[in-house]
Amino acid sequence: MDQIRKWRPFVGPFDPCPPIVIKAYVVPPNQFIPFQPPNWPQFSPAEALRRGTLWPALYSPYESRMLTGGREKGE
Amino acid sequence: MSAEKKPDEAYYALLTELQQLDFVLVELTLYLDTHPYDMQAVQQFNQFAQRRRQVAQVFESRYGPLMQFGHSFSRYPWDWADSPWPWQV
Repeated sequence: MDQIRKWRPFVGPFDPCPPIVIKAYVVPPNQFIPFQPPNWPQFSPAEALRRGTLWPALYSPYESRMLTGGREKGE
Repeated sequence: MSAEKKPDEAYYALLTELQQLDFVLVELTLYLDTHPYDMQAVQQFNQFAQRRRQVAQVFESRYGPLMQFGHSFSRYPWDWADSPWPWQV
């Protein structure tokens, strides 16, 4: 499932700044897992430290969107 | 004050391993808080806790104490104040 959701906010005609046409937010996988089942596959300790979780099913990349200035491509 | 020790490659390798083991322990702790009857996870937790202790012991015997106030043994002479300090590595 794609973890990034997008929506189009209202753009007023008198916006002094160039409007952000598409806004995006992350919905991490834990939102859809009410109770974690036992014996899930795990990352290795090194991988877990780097990714910030021990379980691949809970991994959320949370990539930076700073480079696009908060804007999504394909506006 | 004794001479400044320069951390070698093994120093960073051991610290990295400690960090990785600690992170797994944090994750398993949080998991076990909600799954106290998961026997396999408890065993894994204890294995990692033991491995963490071994790695910490090796590290401390080579590079000095990680903790103070009796949670780590000291070598002679007392070297708690020697660099490198945590924020220098």
